[in-house]
Amino acid sequence: IAFSRFHSSIRVRPNDKDAKMKYQECNKIVKQKAFERAIASDELKRSVVDSLDIENMTIEDDYAGPKLEDGKVTLKFMKDLMAWFKDQKKLHRKCAYQTEEITICGDTHGQYYDLLNIFELNGLPSITNPYLFNGDFVDRGSFSVEVILTLFGFKLLYPEHFHLLRGNHETDNMNQMYGFEGEVKAKYTAQMFQLFSEVFQWLPLAQCINSKVLVMHGGLFSEDGVTLDDIRKIDRNRQPPDSGKTMCVLLQDGRSVSKRGVSCQFGPDVTERFLEQNKLQYIVRSHEVKAEGYEVTHSGKCITVFSAPNYCDQMGNKGAYIHLRGSDLKPEFHQFTAVPHPDVKPMAYANSLMQLGMM
Amino acid sequence: MSNGMRMPFADSDIADEAVRATCDDASICKRFATSKGYWTDLYVQYFVRQVGERKAPEINRGYYGRVKGMNLLIDAFLKKTQCDCQVVNLGAGLDTTFWRLKDENIMPKKFFEVDFPMIVARKIHNIKTKPPLSKPLIETHSTDALLLDGHSLDSDRYCIIGADLRDLPTLEEKLKKFQINPELPTLFLSECVLVYMTPEQSSKLVHWVADAFPTAMFINYEQVNMNDRFGEIMIENLQRRQCNLAGVDLCQSLDSQKERFLSAGWESANALDMMTVYNMLPQEDVARIECLEFLDEKELLQQLLQHYCICWAVKDKLNLGEASILPS
Repeated sequence: IAFSRFHSSIRVRPNDKDAKMKYQECNKIVKQKAFERAIASDELKRSVVDSLDIENMTIEDDYAGPKLEDGKVTLKFMKDLMAWFKDQKKLHRKCAYQTEEITICGDTHGQYYDLLNIFELNGLPSITNPYLFNGDFVDRGSFSVEVILTLFGFKLLYPEHFHLLRGNHETDNMNQMYGFEGEVKAKYTAQMFQLFSEVFQWLPLAQCINSKVLVMHGGLFSEDGVTLDDIRKIDRNRQPPDSGKTMCVLLQDGRSVSKRGVSCQFGPDVTERFLEQNKLQYIVRSHEVKAEGYEVTHSGKCITVFSAPNYCDQMGNKGAYIHLRGSDLKPEFHQFTAVPHPDVKPMAYANSLMQLGMM
Repeated sequence: MSNGMRMPFADSDIADEAVRATCDDASICKRFATSKGYWTDLYVQYFVRQVGERKAPEINRGYYGRVKGMNLLIDAFLKKTQCDCQVVNLGAGLDTTFWRLKDENIMPKKFFEVDFPMIVARKIHNIKTKPPLSKPLIETHSTDALLLDGHSLDSDRYCIIGADLRDLPTLEEKLKKFQINPELPTLFLSECVLVYMTPEQSSKLVHWVADAFPTAMFINYEQVNMNDRFGEIMIENLQRRQCNLAGVDLCQSLDSQKERFLSAGWESANALDMMTVYNMLPQEDVARIECLEFLDEKELLQQLLQHYCICWAVKDKLNLGEASILPS
């Protein structure tokens, strides 16, 4: 909330030093949170959660108490719960145990109205409705500023339940070519873009869920033997280096991949070995548009999720997001289609990329 | 006009205006792409002064494919006829091919360009006022003065005519006026032109060409494979810009593109989608241009290229041999 207030005040008074300073404070916090999370090691202590089989618990027909709505805590549930407890009744253990579900989204690429639609369909982020956005929040779409400030806002609001990973479009080269830099300069200043550039450098490169599922934007490496520790050790506060280095492969940045043909730079055998070596079940990545919004490959070991429907107003693809239950980590896919967006008046950043083909 | 009250702008006027605007799309994109080094065009800068805002890399690569593909076919025709031929560029817009051919010393006997009078007037103004454009015309002209009026310019080797391609009698009359020789092998070009006319109108046009020119080739670049989602969205997006693809029914497939010629008096026809053409271009140069700008999503280029094609049809009284027209 603090973040968006600063944001609106900066909007109204773009040159207000005080607003800018507070914006900078916010960004420091973003950086700090990102850093802390990245360096935290995952605990390998066995959790009670592993021994629970919540999915297969049944609620008896004669249970008349409050139930979670679609697995989620809602205001109605809370009011019913409080009334139920007041009558000294017991909440069904399934509802008590209900583990968190996390929603993983792929590329959003400045498609703000489609992002709003995700929140419409899947609920606003909250402590009980955590999200992970897997990079490429900006560029291509004309509302990159709105998207990134919204995502940063939620990060500040729910630092432990709202996660952002860096994509190859959270880099200077991409932002210069694909619209974000132009958009920020048009809506704010060059200095503001510099700030975004700095904050992007602090975004973590990968996230491991329950020690079993690794999420990163681009994908895996062409060579074997990379461990989670190697990833942890990456000095990521920088622009991606030239080809060959782990960091740029995680982002699948341009220079690290061959420019011709092959879309997936890592084969099923690479995935298999990586998962085995690091004791993981599967990876989730994004980075490539998919007609259905998602794709399952490498015998279920590699999942692609892409959340920008009708990409670039041209591709006609669906968007998708993944529900991941902590209990079994089985991915559940949800698809959605594009919603209308305002016809942005031609501006340097917006119009240049909205090309209707060859004329 | 049933009640005598005429609307200030008929729907057809709006439609024509939208089509004319596509001339700017093409030349602006070419201006940007050439400024980035995708291909060399020394003359587009005299038609589009400013480089303008950035275009997406897939658009630049798309235009590269188009220009290189068309040039390959044009040059092959010129070579095959040893320049003892004519070229007629229908809906030429601000195209610079004539000036390229002059520089490369492979000019046809005469190069004709046809477009809406408004576009032609603009182009003539540019030619008149820019020495790099007018000099090649003057150099190749036998007298001191070029024949010039508001909507046409004629010289020995280059002629530009303002006309409506849907009005064939007038088109024919004007071409004759400027000494087109139907006996010479003639190459007709149209790039994103026929698609803006109804199938009936374009059919009449290509039929007339076949009837009037015994030895001819027609090269058509435009949309194809429009039956899918990508095609649907393109049509919708263009409609929002009042741009109506009136002839899109003929853009269903490579076969439908060929058929429009085969059923209009042309002896043979070939068509390739731009993905195929792109992969047939000299790959060293393709590798060079792909390094100019990193393309973040290959799928965008692929979809774009698969929805455009080059189709060429031949009427071959003098046995030019269409099969060998395209270098393998």
